[in-house]
Amino acid sequence: MATDTRVLAAEFQYLEAHSLDEALAWLGQYGTRARVLAGGTDLLVKMKTGQVQPEYIIYIKKVAGLDYIQADEAGLRIGATTTLRKLEGCAAVKTGYSALYEAVRSMAATAIRNMGTIGGNLGNASPAADTAPPLLVYGATLKLASQAGTRLVPVEEFFLGPGKTCLAPEELLTEISLPPQGSESGSSFLKLGRVAADIAKINVAVSLQRSGRNCTACRIAFGSVAPTPIRVPEAEALLAGQEITEDLIETAAQAGAAAIKPISDNRSTREYRLKVSRVMLAEALRAAWQRAGGVL
Amino acid sequence: MDFQVIGKVLPRKDGIAKVCGQETYPSDVVVPHMLYGVTLRSPYPHAEILRVDTSAAEAMGAVCVTPDDVPEVIYNERTVSIPEKTYCDRRVLPRRARHVGEAIVAVAAETEEIAFKAMQAIKVEYKVLPPVLDLERAMAPGAPALYEEIYLGDQKIAVENNVACERIITVGDPEGAFARADYIVEREYELPRVYHHQMETKTAVCRPEPNGGITVWATTQTIHNVRQLLGRIFSLPLSKVNVKKLAIGGSFGSSIQMNSIIPICVALALKAKRPVKMATSREDDVYDHTKFPARIRLKVGVKKDGTIVAADMRALVDIGAHQINSYPLLGCMAGWYASLYKWGDFRYEGRAVYTNKVPACAMQGYGNPQVNFAVESHMDLIATECGFDPVKFRLKNYVGVGDEFWGQGPTVKSIIKSCGVEEMLQKGAEMIGWGQRRPPREKTGRYRRGIGMARGFHTSGTGGPKPGEVIDYSSATIKINEDGTVDVMTPVMDLGGGTGEAAVKVAAEVLKVPYERVELSRVDTKTTGYDVCTHATRGVYCGCGAVYHVAQQVKQKLFEYAGRILEENPGDLELAYAAEKGVTIIHAKGFKQKQITIGEVARLAQIYSWGTIAATDSLRQKNCPPCFVAHFVEVEVDTWTGIVRVPRAILLSDSGTPINPDMVAGQLIGSLSRGLGYALYEETEYDLESGKLKCNGFITDNKIPTVCEMPRLADIQVYFAHTYEPTGPFGAKGIGEAALNSVASALNNAIYNAIGIRFYRTPITPERVLAALEGGDRDGN
Amino acid sequence: MERQWVKLKVNGKERQLFIKPNELLLNVLRDELGLMGAKYGCGLGECAACTVLVNGQPMLACLILAVTMEGQEITTVEGMGDYDRLHPLQQSFLDHGAVQCGFCTPGMLLTAQALLAENPDPSEEEIRDYLRGNLCRCTGYAAIVRAVKEVKHPA
Repeated sequence: MATDTRVLAAEFQYLEAHSLDEALAWLGQYGTRARVLAGGTDLLVKMKTGQVQPEYIIYIKKVAGLDYIQADEAGLRIGATTTLRKLEGCAAVKTGYSALYEAVRSMAATAIRNMGTIGGNLGNASPAADTAPPLLVYGATLKLASQAGTRLVPVEEFFLGPGKTCLAPEELLTEISLPPQGSESGSSFLKLGRVAADIAKINVAVSLQRSGRNCTACRIAFGSVAPTPIRVPEAEALLAGQEITEDLIETAAQAGAAAIKPISDNRSTREYRLKVSRVMLAEALRAAWQRAGGVL
Repeated sequence: MDFQVIGKVLPRKDGIAKVCGQETYPSDVVVPHMLYGVTLRSPYPHAEILRVDTSAAEAMGAVCVTPDDVPEVIYNERTVSIPEKTYCDRRVLPRRARHVGEAIVAVAAETEEIAFKAMQAIKVEYKVLPPVLDLERAMAPGAPALYEEIYLGDQKIAVENNVACERIITVGDPEGAFARADYIVEREYELPRVYHHQMETKTAVCRPEPNGGITVWATTQTIHNVRQLLGRIFSLPLSKVNVKKLAIGGSFGSSIQMNSIIPICVALALKAKRPVKMATSREDDVYDHTKFPARIRLKVGVKKDGTIVAADMRALVDIGAHQINSYPLLGCMAGWYASLYKWGDFRYEGRAVYTNKVPACAMQGYGNPQVNFAVESHMDLIATECGFDPVKFRLKNYVGVGDEFWGQGPTVKSIIKSCGVEEMLQKGAEMIGWGQRRPPREKTGRYRRGIGMARGFHTSGTGGPKPGEVIDYSSATIKINEDGTVDVMTPVMDLGGGTGEAAVKVAAEVLKVPYERVELSRVDTKTTGYDVCTHATRGVYCGCGAVYHVAQQVKQKLFEYAGRILEENPGDLELAYAAEKGVTIIHAKGFKQKQITIGEVARLAQIYSWGTIAATDSLRQKNCPPCFVAHFVEVEVDTWTGIVRVPRAILLSDSGTPINPDMVAGQLIGSLSRGLGYALYEETEYDLESGKLKCNGFITDNKIPTVCEMPRLADIQVYFAHTYEPTGPFGAKGIGEAALNSVASALNNAIYNAIGIRFYRTPITPERVLAALEGGDRDGN
Repeated sequence: MERQWVKLKVNGKERQLFIKPNELLLNVLRDELGLMGAKYGCGLGECAACTVLVNGQPMLACLILAVTMEGQEITTVEGMGDYDRLHPLQQSFLDHGAVQCGFCTPGMLLTAQALLAENPDPSEEEIRDYLRGNLCRCTGYAAIVRAVKEVKHPA
């Protein structure tokens, strides 16, 4: 065929960055001709299958200060080259950010999670990226750095389309920060794949705040149902400020399912995604509500 | 029976090498000074190759082989059938590409990377032809033709309406019998194309030898057939063609034939005058072979008392671009159908159709899982519609001891002498709690469980009292070394199932030698007699049958030499294993004190210059006994997502004496996972516009079950029926393919029992389950 | 492409390699170092036949540029044990019939070794979860899971 996945035949110049400045300088210099390499689980696949052909590869795993998880009262800050398995093993993620924990746990093979980074998963901008819906519902902020300085972008503005983000050619995603989660908040993530180690046919994340029997705020995000991971404000609006009941959850789940516009592809069909999105959203809502201390 | 090593769980002979990463698979073969080869493959499903310009590749130092550089020999890759029943339609490289992914040009260079780049520099001028990608359309008048003519043996024959071959068989008067039936049930079943997904992609290494010959290391299930075919294609005397026996990283039927890259690799090596290695990329491999799909229409007539009186099966098979083994397949499908139940009067019509798709070949069961899905789903359906108990209905009609078994279609038959069907069905019913099974209408709620069963079989080899259309015999050489240890040389490929261990055990048992003192030799086609192929579940029954046969001859030779030493008539001697001393002795019958160890016999035979105690011979089995299986499974259907889980599976087999019980269990459990894939997950779908696979050859979009899809350890139970096959080595039959044949059928029947919907097409994906549930149909699709 | 020197440790031994940046760790291990235990299965990180341990963590050598391994410690199945001194997992795979064709075995063994290093007494569920990305087409996985579960730890 037009590919040979046994080798990487593409030629490029390999640039190994040892500091952020070095990486940003190369990015500034080479821009679209360069690609950033961290875990390699997406980039090497794309290079082997001929989807990208960078002239320069900037390896950033050796850049000090990009691999960290910091949890404090300001929330959670995650360095972009933090591996998925490191996130999975982090107590603060597991206890405080259930949706993110469940998303990372659901991803691929152990070996892939040892390699793949959260920055890579976001930067790859797959509509099915598992870390994206949780970050959307937590209202995460992404730090994008370039030689000109840094800017903060809400994760919602980050994804522009399949494989497309708002990252400028000279920019690098360096940090993901998540706001603190209150004691009466809860979140959850659900995914359906074809088999246990798979990208999502569909995934969904929910995060909500509770006050007594009421939900004070709610965010819902789906993956693999649109060109980018998306929020569904139609469903969120039904829940915010309302007393949470089974009926309301069902109503919101239906509204969520009605708001998405999935397509048929190799992994599933449009019809199936429409049908199960309702089931999954209802389940995710229940789980998040219960985690927030709510009863049904 | 009390055996010394047969039936004992012992470490595989190749086990240590495999766990240490030391086993040599074809993809691990390295030959000094070798080049690496890749192929340029057609991007079009149907196109004439007008011109190939390799100059840019050659300028990069590559050696190229084009369709003009290969011998004008038209052949079939599979040479298991006799020549006059073999349809031939391919060359080493074609002048007309007939499926996307068909190799057209081959390139070799110093590294695989350079070869790949050189391949990309080749310019091919195509005349794109209209493709046929649909079975029905392929047979319609005026459809584009894949072939104008092909060969049957040496004879040129015309191809009409893309029908590659067909078989029609009528037994008795089915029409009259249908007229006598109280119920007639008819349905159509559809089984998909499925990729073998063997873990190692196909590989070939060829080294040209100074004598003008070649040595080949390649992925294959048959070293001897590869050798013969290479000799024929390249006009080489067989004495100058040597094919090495190696481990194989899984096969499942995908290498019954000589793989298409083997002669390509040979052509490259001969042109380059250097060794060449071609290891297929996964995407090339996915575009190389597939399981036979089938569309099966089945009509069965039954009396009120549950006696079947008539049946009619029409099978259509979309074989893709080449005939590999479609003609024998059509015959075998007839046999799998004819031998499941006593149909009374019946008819079979099988038709294989060319399309511009990846050529289909055998995959575990060779048409049997397809036929079994239709028949065993149908049996369940009839039982439901006519109010019979599915187990009793089967017991009333199954083909068993004393009945005729079609081991390889209508020409290879034998009488069944051992059968564990009744024992397995009773035991399975008891183990799963068949008596507590409730009908689907009583099930409610989101998660619904169901219990289903199906039974099946496969042949053990393709032997028979009369030679039929299929060649079947095996050879072995056994040698007693000068210290009394034993070397076993068998050309039979071990595909991972433990045929090698079985050969060692059979030799050890005959010669009463401890397992540790028998080893398998690394062999090739020059050092072994002929074996047809490890296919048709014949490794143990036929391959080890030959080992048994030869070991008996070695035993006689031992007696002869021991007789000289002990001054006894060889006929008055006996072999025994003296467990306390850990030695094998030969003693006078009834007088154990007069004894000598076989080590001593071998040593003295050398010192006295009597010669090596060894024998070589071949054996054709005169029977093809069926190995039977039954599957009782429980499923849980999530009616909200359509996801089907398998919480419990009971796998029963009748393989006669299980020579390697752990490996028999391994075959059954491995087949459960492949059957799960077949029933629920796997299908290689085509884009009917471009003729390309939707997965593009990448397994990213071609999922097979992972460990998580399997039931938990405690929920998989294995049961062996207590049978003894009088014609097999130490009572053994096969198991390999049988283990898969009724898995998907049992799952389908269990799904019906859970939700009251019967599916007629696999894979039964969550998408299809949910659509069927919402549609409110009793029929799934 | 220019070759460059890369220094790394493979199975406890320092190795220096002069390689091109586009060379995959899998091919370097196999072709340069003759370590054939890691296998090519799909080249896209979907089957885990090429699993090796990098600093003790299972990773897929088919998606790793060898140049990025400067200073890292790689373990292949050849580093687990020898025929006369098998790793307890290797012995357990033999004892439980966990090997058929054996092509997935090196990746399975190394992944299981990493699991046991993290969690010496994993439950069946934990084993299944950890091994879920390692494909096997022969065994149906049961014998592999049992081999990991019932491994005899060295006394």
